Amino acid sequence: MGDLIRDVLDKQLVDRNQNSIGKVDGIIVALREGKPPRVAYIEVGTVALARRLNPRLAKWAAALERRLKVSEGEPYRIPWSKVREVGIDVEVDLEWEKTPLISWEKWVNEKIIGRIPGA
Amino acid sequence: MADSEIHIELLLSRRVTDLNGETVGRIEEFHTKQEGDENVIEEYLLGPYALLERLSALAGGFRLFRWFGIGKTRRYKVRWDQMDLSDPKRPRVLCAKDDLEKL
Amino acid sequence: MKKIFEVALGIVTSIGGFLEIGSLTTAAQAGALFGFQLIWAIALGGLCIIFLVEMSGRFAAVSHHTIPAAIRERFGFNFFVAPMIGFILVTLLVLAAEIGGVCIALELVTGIAFQWWALPVAFLIWLLIWKGTFSVIEKGASLLGLVTLCFVVGAYWLYPPWNDVATGLVPSLPAKDEARYWFIAVSILGASITPYLMFFYSSGAIEDKWDESYLGTNRAVAGLGMSFGSAISMAVLVVSAIVFMPRGIQVDHYDQVALILTPAFGYWGFILFAASLGIACFGAAQEISLEIAYFIAQAFGWNWGEDQKPRDAARFSLVYTVTIFAGALLVLVGIDPLKLTIFSMALTAATLPLSIMPFLILMNDKRYVGEHRNGIISNVVVTLIIILACVLAVVTIPLQIFGG
Repeated sequence: MGDLIRDVLDKQLVDRNQNSIGKVDGIIVALREGKPPRVAYIEVGTVALARRLNPRLAKWAAALERRLKVSEGEPYRIPWSKVREVGIDVEVDLEWEKTPLISWEKWVNEKIIGRIPGA
Repeated sequence: MADSEIHIELLLSRRVTDLNGETVGRIEEFHTKQEGDENVIEEYLLGPYALLERLSALAGGFRLFRWFGIGKTRRYKVRWDQMDLSDPKRPRVLCAKDDLEKL
Repeated sequence: MKKIFEVALGIVTSIGGFLEIGSLTTAAQAGALFGFQLIWAIALGGLCIIFLVEMSGRFAAVSHHTIPAAIRERFGFNFFVAPMIGFILVTLLVLAAEIGGVCIALELVTGIAFQWWALPVAFLIWLLIWKGTFSVIEKGASLLGLVTLCFVVGAYWLYPPWNDVATGLVPSLPAKDEARYWFIAVSILGASITPYLMFFYSSGAIEDKWDESYLGTNRAVAGLGMSFGSAISMAVLVVSAIVFMPRGIQVDHYDQVALILTPAFGYWGFILFAASLGIACFGAAQEISLEIAYFIAQAFGWNWGEDQKPRDAARFSLVYTVTIFAGALLVLVGIDPLKLTIFSMALTAATLPLSIMPFLILMNDKRYVGEHRNGIISNVVVTLIIILACVLAVVTIPLQIFGG
């Protein structure tokens, strides 16, 4: 018995190693004929977040991510089956480094922060 | 049977009408339960749509305000099979407002 | 034993870190123009910040959330955008004012105009965060900030009429210049009740892994730290009232304020003032730039932390870097630091409900604070003071801008 808005949406996501990998920016539910809708994916990313404010903002964010080669312009989807625990944070059975969630952090590191001495 | 997908975070702001076109409210929460290895939506919680009522519901977080009767609002529970999401921008309840379970 | 040390350190760093350009400037202006009449505003602001800091510590310890993350979670991202943008814009102005404060202190001592110091000061602030363990830097700056106690000493040495000082604790109406009086009252409230301080405190509590056993520590640090800190602000007002008011000196430029401590300390008064201003503002600038970065990182779910290497928290590091230099830019272009300070304090007061009300609702939400919810007194006191500050700000700011 859970509440998607209260307990999941906008919560902190952590991976297997307790890294902060983002927030639950969206939740995708699959509608089915004759059966209750199934909670399918968690969506994470700038595009998902932007879409909540304004569809045009989302398109702009997607174009930016494509141009900087951070992503293909689509938010990242985590299958609900990967959710291990919903508590103070939402723990997912993933490793950050192996997913596109690390793309923005990597980009900033490569292009900006990493180039400053002493990082 | 192809599944169609909806973003529930985008449903939050949408107004839900009933069979007769009357405003029931705004989707506030999605109650889920575990069915086997799937997490499914059991029912939807509908809250006030009018801005003033929403603000007073927000203030209901203050015990002080509740003393003055601010924060009491009408909520409806809609079972998953009573909700029609074929047009996500215009969610509809498949019965009359009065037939819904009230909170 | 460790807890006692932590409490002591917490209180001492709160006191040393309390005064910054906002509280110093508004207290000096209040004293110079209205004598002891506005002490009540400092007391009211101090009372509010004691409540708010205690709440933010309690919130972090019990809910294990930072305040920005919790606001987003509880109210949703769409609502959160408004307080977020408000906070960033206003706090950026405050940051610029603090950087300006350090630059003014350097100008007083060296004679080189403050604009020239903007980039070097920004660079030093940035460098210490970039390379250092912030916890050491922060505590260091706050401990050095204890030099601001010279105002308390100075106040005593000037033999203030204590009866009149005490009377100032009771709100009174000014004999003349009413618009100015209320505008300064608002600026004082905005200088005392700073959202960045509350959020920073909650971030610290999360990083130090506070839990329910720290609630007593929290109350001690918040109560004693903020009270003694407010006393320093009051001391600034008292000294200003004694030194400036009889001479009809209005605080319009920082070189006027520079001699505030000379009647009490002689030549050393000038050095003490410059040191107080420089150190206090430097510490505040570090805290503020970090807090803006914390806020954004906590809002979007990035890695964040005082002692992280920049590579391990790249976006967080980028944000504080940009923030510091954005603040410095405002000083570089030569905006008058004093006007910037007063304006940012009044703006803080005007936007308080946006940041504080969601937090107050959280403080009453069982799901976050469990049985440690706010009592009725906390709710009422904070709500009333916030509303007062906001209403006064909305009324007096236009008058001040258009009345000159």
